Amino acid sequence: MADAATHDHARPGFFTRWFMSTNHKDIGILYLFVAGALGFVSVCFTVYMRLELMEPGVQYMCMENLDKVANAAALAAGECTPNGHLWNVLITGHGILMMFFVVIPALFGGFGNYFMPLMIGAPDMAFPRMNNLSFWMYFTGATLAVLSIITPGGNDQMGSGVGWVLYAPLSTREGGMSMDFAIFAVHVSGASSILGAINMITTFLNMRAPGMTLHKVPLFAWSIFVTAFLILLSLPVLAGAITMLLTDRNFGTTFFDPAGGGDPILYQHLLWFFGHPEVYMIIVPGFGIVSHIISTFSRKPIFGYLPMVYAMVAIGALGFVVWAHHMYTVGMSLTQQSYFMLATMVIAVPTGIKIFSWIATMWGGSIEMKTPMLWAFGFLFLFTVGGVTGIVLSQAGVDRAYHDTYYVVAHFHYVMSLGAVFCIFAGIYYWFAKMSGRQYPEWAGKLHFWMMFIGANVTFFPQHFLGRQGMPRRYIDYPEQFAYWNEISSYGAFLSFASFVFFIGIVFYSLIWGKKETNPAYWGEHADTLEWTLSNPPPEHTFEILPKQSEWDKNPH
Amino acid sequence: MNSHTELEKAEAEALAFFAATDRSDPPLFKQVIRPHRSLPIRGFVWIIGITCIGFLIPLLAFIGSKVLWGLLIPSCSTLFALWYFIQRSYRDGEITEIITLWPDLLAIHRVNPKGRDQYWQANPHWVQFHIKDTTKIEGYLTLTGGNREIELGAFLTPAQRLDLRRQLEKAIRLG
Repeated sequence: MADAATHDHARPGFFTRWFMSTNHKDIGILYLFVAGALGFVSVCFTVYMRLELMEPGVQYMCMENLDKVANAAALAAGECTPNGHLWNVLITGHGILMMFFVVIPALFGGFGNYFMPLMIGAPDMAFPRMNNLSFWMYFTGATLAVLSIITPGGNDQMGSGVGWVLYAPLSTREGGMSMDFAIFAVHVSGASSILGAINMITTFLNMRAPGMTLHKVPLFAWSIFVTAFLILLSLPVLAGAITMLLTDRNFGTTFFDPAGGGDPILYQHLLWFFGHPEVYMIIVPGFGIVSHIISTFSRKPIFGYLPMVYAMVAIGALGFVVWAHHMYTVGMSLTQQSYFMLATMVIAVPTGIKIFSWIATMWGGSIEMKTPMLWAFGFLFLFTVGGVTGIVLSQAGVDRAYHDTYYVVAHFHYVMSLGAVFCIFAGIYYWFAKMSGRQYPEWAGKLHFWMMFIGANVTFFPQHFLGRQGMPRRYIDYPEQFAYWNEISSYGAFLSFASFVFFIGIVFYSLIWGKKETNPAYWGEHADTLEWTLSNPPPEHTFEILPKQSEWDKNPH
Repeated sequence: MNSHTELEKAEAEALAFFAATDRSDPPLFKQVIRPHRSLPIRGFVWIIGITCIGFLIPLLAFIGSKVLWGLLIPSCSTLFALWYFIQRSYRDGEITEIITLWPDLLAIHRVNPKGRDQYWQANPHWVQFHIKDTTKIEGYLTLTGGNREIELGAFLTPAQRLDLRRQLEKAIRLG
């Protein structure tokens, strides 16, 4: 036994607690808040973009705005030269932030860190200090990503407008240093994710409590494990690909440049070999959260635990063999396209197992429509819609028509913006009192849900129509034939944004004035994983100091 | 010089410990505590095997091309990091605390995976248990009553630690 660490203060200072934290719960909270802040930045970009797309023509993103003093006369006359670079920077920034720095850190870093060790009965993560390192590398990466938006880039403006996929040769020829910042951002956050994944895998495999066998581990912990494996296997490929991008840009190599014997299509293969598992990293932890919520609020144990587990494993495994369905139009052979088409459709099988098991869980249950359940319901319906359009897009022939149209935008926002993000909100409302000790007002959670549900659907459903009309994605302007649904889509985006601002209000209101929740299992007995046996929040945060005599002597009668 | 005296002190402590615990009467309470490790070595082999296969899918396509190097380096580093950290987790789990209680002696022997063994003994009559929440450990259990204050079961879960204290206190009370 080591000598006791008697100098360890019982109540850490603010700096020690949040900057030097090795506690998995505190690190989880840090991930959630940073992801939330970056999510706000990223959502602000979309509001600006939807504002621009609300009407045909370019109204807001004008070249004249770059130098308002010199162009004062032109601005006064209402002239507007479209600034396509700004538009491209915004779509790139939105994509990079959302894909790398918002959704995965919130679900995997936030909820994964906080609840996975609790659910498997581990004292902490296997490597608490490495956990801290992962978080701060993520923070560094996020800072670099934000910097890349405001450092000199292509077209003699700030930022890079190459799309989040960083396709060569666009990315290798983008001017300025902004692109290098973006590549470094992905590097650093990739290293952070790999370390985080190793930590999660080791914790999940080696730190389970006695008797907690693999087939007893709660579904959320399983989903984090599957996600960690996807990260572990795919991020090194991305790291290799963007390193080659970096050397192509700066050191004259020609991995992706046909002039030197390279191949730009190769970059697309490498990117999507990572990119497709990436979309499953985004959604699989959500599957875990939703499973617990549906079971809790249906007052029934989850239907088909083992099929649920192996469906997640199967989705993860299949995720590695379907990547080229993102690139049907690059000139693959018919056989290749047939393979990727069939493999893609096979994913509908494990996904269907999950959807039907959730429905079967609710079947005959006593369903209670509390806020987390509303979000889980919303997820279930909208993810299914996104899944169905996914089947449509998986057809190589049909994809000829839909490739790079708004149909694709609608599809992936249905599965990610409406799928994964609904899971994040579901998780936040489900565990809010567990993490903070205070409960949100139920009406506010419900209002947030309905605003977001209506807003997101109004935003993205019309985009299917736009895609079918043939409107291409990633453009600042469009012919007036597309005006009708674009205007409606923009109204939806504003409503969604309002709901997000309202949500931020709910969080801070509840953290400060929310009703104290002292019942550890406040959702009832069907929330039966281990975290519900702990107090709200789990002990060390609520550590209460006994009042000292000096305090009660302060006000003498 | 300083380390020399420390070494002597540790040796004297160990000798005193073994002299005190080398007794014929059966202990009232004996428990060996270790952090739990749930992954059998076969599982480790499986994990490394699956990871290798996973990395081979993209790598096989590039054999004979210089692109292979761009992918091989990050893939191999990740594989070795996974290997190292799971092994490290096993090694961290080798820490052991052996608690033995007689009516007039509480003896605790700690085997450290890195570093030398530590010994502590006290008369149970004077032993006090302290629990407090610290930045790193929730329900941190320390014992006083010997020549220094020691921690006990810092690697267990908070619930297991409380349970250990309950058992040990009960054994002391009954003894």
